[in-house]
Amino acid sequence: MEMVAYESRSSVNDTQLITRVVAGDAAAERELYETYVDRIYRLAFRLAGEDELARDFTQATFIRAFEKLGSFRGESSLSTWLHSIGVSVALNGLRKTKRLRNREAPMEEGLMIGASRKEAEPDLKERMARAIDALADKYRAVFVMHDVEGYTHEEISGTLNIPIGTSKSHLFQARSKLRVALADFAPEWAS
Amino acid sequence: MTEDNFEEFLKKAAQGYNAPSARTPREDMWSAIQAQRAAGPRVVYGGGSPMRETSGRRFGSRIWLGAAAAAVLFLATGVGIGRWSASSSAPPSVAVSPPKTVSPSSSVEEPSGAPGDAALSQTHGTPESSSSSAGVPNVGVRPTNSHSGNPNQLALSGPPANSTPASAYQLAAVRHLSEAEALLTSFRTRSNTDQQMDAQLGSWARELLSNTRLLLDSPVANDPQRRPLLEDLELVLVQIVQLSPGSTPQDRELIEKTLQHDHVMTRLRTAIPAGSQRGS
Repeated sequence: MEMVAYESRSSVNDTQLITRVVAGDAAAERELYETYVDRIYRLAFRLAGEDELARDFTQATFIRAFEKLGSFRGESSLSTWLHSIGVSVALNGLRKTKRLRNREAPMEEGLMIGASRKEAEPDLKERMARAIDALADKYRAVFVMHDVEGYTHEEISGTLNIPIGTSKSHLFQARSKLRVALADFAPEWAS
Repeated sequence: MTEDNFEEFLKKAAQGYNAPSARTPREDMWSAIQAQRAAGPRVVYGGGSPMRETSGRRFGSRIWLGAAAAAVLFLATGVGIGRWSASSSAPPSVAVSPPKTVSPSSSVEEPSGAPGDAALSQTHGTPESSSSSAGVPNVGVRPTNSHSGNPNQLALSGPPANSTPASAYQLAAVRHLSEAEALLTSFRTRSNTDQQMDAQLGSWARELLSNTRLLLDSPVANDPQRRPLLEDLELVLVQIVQLSPGSTPQDRELIEKTLQHDHVMTRLRTAIPAGSQRGS
């Protein structure tokens, strides 16, 4: 996955990049942005479900990162630190816009369903989306990061600042709830 | 049906969950980031209508402002409680009587244990009492160089260090009334032919007259019984001041009638607490 490419960046490169950014090097800022923006945007989109919100969350993540990069102590990788900011920004933003999303959900859901009917069964797609949306934030974030985006529990642990065991527990809880919600489709995974 | 199958099914089906577009709008977002950083305050969650995010620094400044306001409020409350407790713990204002000295001229029949005694104990042993000429007859003798004989000192001879302004007025009033009693007693017992005595009494009355006016303009005059007394005393003192060496016996008789008609002497003695410093 893309994660492999980003993880292959050495800490030396990250340290040098951070040093240049803190020193006010505009090119270094752009380099840092180009390196991580795809993954941050993808995760933001997965959590937000809207391009507009995903853009806002991504932009806010990098703005905050540039502001706080001087206080980055290297206790985690730059990638983990950036994702931590990104998830925090996204979840906080979604809480603030939750009411609005709930009101607009039917319309947006219809659009999304219409776009995805080509590839999957409409009923499963819709039920899956509703079931994942119904998960608590802590379960949904872990499920999206692990089962959808392919993050490891170590990465999730660092990003969400939770123990690895907690990450695994949250994933188990999420899967259990989804299994109940998608019980009608049991023949599909039993076959 | 196995767990592995379900996980595989779930991962596969969930790939379509909030699937992002294939192309990341890098340039658009970078331009927006640059614009927002140039504008200063950060903007999030708005899309077309950005709303300002509460930054950590702003939040921090609010916390400090709140803490400062709380500290000021706490300080003000503490000062207020301190002042309130200080005022409430202060000794109550009591009617202050002059220092306890026994004068032979004392003719007040007020029994011991009267309210005046309680007040008396408040000032017993004050500098005034120690400096007073206890036991010296003062009837018919104008105090010239004594402490209480100076009219200015009478009005301004402050209260004891720990007394209140109200008690100072009370003390001055009692001393003034005592001196007035002494003057009037001297006037009534003097010889009609003693012209020199008339002159001395006139001068003494003039000094007491000014103090009477001062007391009439002071809080002491708020007493419904003391004010008429001071007014009548003022009238008598004016009459005594107007006595000239060549005044006729009728002039003195008029003064005597005023004293008797208004019961000035009786009221004076009643107004002076028992055992108070008389005319000293």
